[in-house]
Amino acid sequence: MRSKELVVRKATFDIEAGDFVGIVGPNGGGKTTLIHAILGILPIKRGSIRLFGKDISRFRQWERVAYVSQEAINFDTQFPLTVKEMVGLGRVRRGNLGRPLRKEDWAAVDSALEAMELTRLANRRIGNLSGGQKQRVFVAKALVRDPDLMILDEPVAGVDATTMERFYERISVLNQDRNITILLVSHDLMAVFCRMSKAMCVSRDVHFAKVAPDLDPNDLLRKGYGDHFHFVFHEHSCGVEQRH
Amino acid sequence: MTLFDIPRLFEYTFFRNAIIGGAITALVCSWVGLFLILRKEAMMADGVAHTAFGGIALGLFLGIDPFLTAMIVSILAVLGISYMKKLGLASSDAATAVMLAVGFAGGLIVISLADGFNIELFSYLFGSILTIDQQDLETVTTLAVIAVVFLGVFYKELLSMTFDDQAARLVGIPVTTLSIGFNILVAVTIVISIKVVGIILVVALIVLPGLSALQLGLSFRGTTVAAVLFGMSSAFLGMILSAIYDVATSGVIVFTMAGIFIFVAAYRRME
Repeated sequence: MRSKELVVRKATFDIEAGDFVGIVGPNGGGKTTLIHAILGILPIKRGSIRLFGKDISRFRQWERVAYVSQEAINFDTQFPLTVKEMVGLGRVRRGNLGRPLRKEDWAAVDSALEAMELTRLANRRIGNLSGGQKQRVFVAKALVRDPDLMILDEPVAGVDATTMERFYERISVLNQDRNITILLVSHDLMAVFCRMSKAMCVSRDVHFAKVAPDLDPNDLLRKGYGDHFHFVFHEHSCGVEQRH
Repeated sequence: MTLFDIPRLFEYTFFRNAIIGGAITALVCSWVGLFLILRKEAMMADGVAHTAFGGIALGLFLGIDPFLTAMIVSILAVLGISYMKKLGLASSDAATAVMLAVGFAGGLIVISLADGFNIELFSYLFGSILTIDQQDLETVTTLAVIAVVFLGVFYKELLSMTFDDQAARLVGIPVTTLSIGFNILVAVTIVISIKVVGIILVVALIVLPGLSALQLGLSFRGTTVAAVLFGMSSAFLGMILSAIYDVATSGVIVFTMAGIFIFVAAYRRME
């Protein structure tokens, strides 16, 4: 729902632990709305959403979920925060309300900085970073919470192809090595069908498919983008081992 | 008075009270002000201060402690601003403008109903730091301790919600409750500052130290420390300079703060 308007109509899917799900779809199709519904930010009219087996109305373990919003990167560049302070904010939660961060929190911050190759930028102001570096900082902020589920809404919008490729590599590592379930909204169809285990096309209705050798991406994409849509996809053009 | 007479000033209780009161107020104002600037609500300080004018006029009219009425009216004003924003009736600056106008207009009506306290009102409009007595000092200290404890305890939560309130809500930080607490703190801070620089200039005490510190490009912790140091040193220097040149203390404090801001901004751009 967007105010009182119905944005997403039909959505039935299961995401399993360790999945790497790419969410694609035309602009205004309801990708962000779907994510906001999963996060309990927006209400649903009918049906139910279960997170880790629990209905979201009764779900309380929000520390297991990390979210990087589409707008996150559009912060005030004059805001006086260093990379380390910013990632440290990821450890702020209801459970430590009114208490300073402890040694183990700062150790987790150092580990997240290392995972996102940000250690040497730790004391730099966030406003002085490049677009790609900012995105890594936000992922590090999400990662520092040691989440089981990470939701990233268009995290690589507006960065160059090399930076984007490197970003997807890092996210794949998080998914495979740390077994973090990832939901990632992207317009990069190649990345979705090359790197991710499941794909979701959102355009009012949600179409869901497992990325497998027998899946023709066009079968899924045309349901969202329309019959005229043709996506030229060759498995060999992925350049990385395709996940099945 | 010359520079050599300054040590003698500290022999006077009124001057010591002024220095201590000014330093404590500047500390709280600078810290609260930094959050207000980053929340893009700096003008709330001006709005609430003008609303406090209505509260002071009411207190004088009713014959009760004007600081008490100013405090009540200011807290109602910040809650009113929050409520208007929450209901979607007005944005933060528009809601502040409404409260400013209503509060000040209320004060004018009360003044027109009763003659005889125009001179007293003058001291509230422009500050009277040199008249801070022991009781004022105790009040300022108590309120400052409450403010410092609140800011110190909820430092990381306030920073988190100032940077991104939606993300803060998602991780379970009670953003609405803390925002109300912070806004009440703003009202309290402004009322205690009225004695130092007066209603008209209180916004300078809130905004200028934080703004100067932001020019330095430091971490958040570093910016907070710099803002507090700028605020406290401006209050101290301002009082000394006003004693030397025998001019209005509140005006000199604000000029000192503005001078520091211009110096820091120019220095950073020359680097």
